[in-house]
Amino acid sequence: MLIPHPLLGPRDAQEFTYLGDASLIDRPDGMADGAEAAFCDYVYLRDNPAGVHRELWFHEFGDRSWLVVTRNTVTHEILGAELAADVARRGR
Amino acid sequence: MTDLTPITALGADLPRCARFGPLTLTETPGLALASLALRRGTAAPALFGLTLPSPGGWVAGAGVAAFWTGPGQWMIEAEGRAEHDFAAEVKRAAPGCSVTEQTDGWVAIEIASSAGADPLIRLMEKLVNVDAATFGPGRATRTALEHMGVFLIRRAEDRLAVLGMRSAAGSLWHALETAASRLARPG
Repeated sequence: MLIPHPLLGPRDAQEFTYLGDASLIDRPDGMADGAEAAFCDYVYLRDNPAGVHRELWFHEFGDRSWLVVTRNTVTHEILGAELAADVARRGR
Repeated sequence: MTDLTPITALGADLPRCARFGPLTLTETPGLALASLALRRGTAAPALFGLTLPSPGGWVAGAGVAAFWTGPGQWMIEAEGRAEHDFAAEVKRAAPGCSVTEQTDGWVAIEIASSAGADPLIRLMEKLVNVDAATFGPGRATRTALEHMGVFLIRRAEDRLAVLGMRSAAGSLWHALETAASRLARPG
């Protein structure tokens, strides 16, 4: 499987480590009211779609950047990849 | 004080060198390395007259070179200056950046080909999953080589450098030596 790195072009998926759902970027504010419930959802509740999924991949054997990869979990087709830093900066 | 004897990453007094057909592998303990990272909101400095390369690039200047290692990060190299405080020189040249001494963390192995690019391309095809055909002079990347993280630098059509973890120098040499010697076998 090849992951289209936005800076480096197609790279072997074995260079990457998978973290999980890209929604993990949206970490709740630990000091806000209801933080405990928000963190419970953040840590344990996850959609598990059969189909298009946005997920975090770490280029561990590469430039060590985090990517948001859009992947079809049924066909394993990779539909796109962008830097997680860009995704976080513009807000999802 | 105890008289300490300096040894190379491969544990000998002199750097190791071996030839396999058209390929010559040479350990280069003299290579000084320092990493450079931009701080938030700062622009890339012009360092020793170099224009720091874009992603996947390597540029060489007078006695120094630089390759891209990540967004806003580069490794700066200086041939033959491992015994000097090269990181301090880099820091003086780029005062607004984060600079870290790297020399002793790495082993550098230079691979030279006496038959042009082809033997290097065939060696890369055996060892790493990087498109060797597009990895031309001026390209540098980090990738996995036998489960080790390494930097590859294509210094010229007939030259490739491999930078690996110093503590894994023996394993890295073994991997390169095995692949190069098998390529050199007739048939």
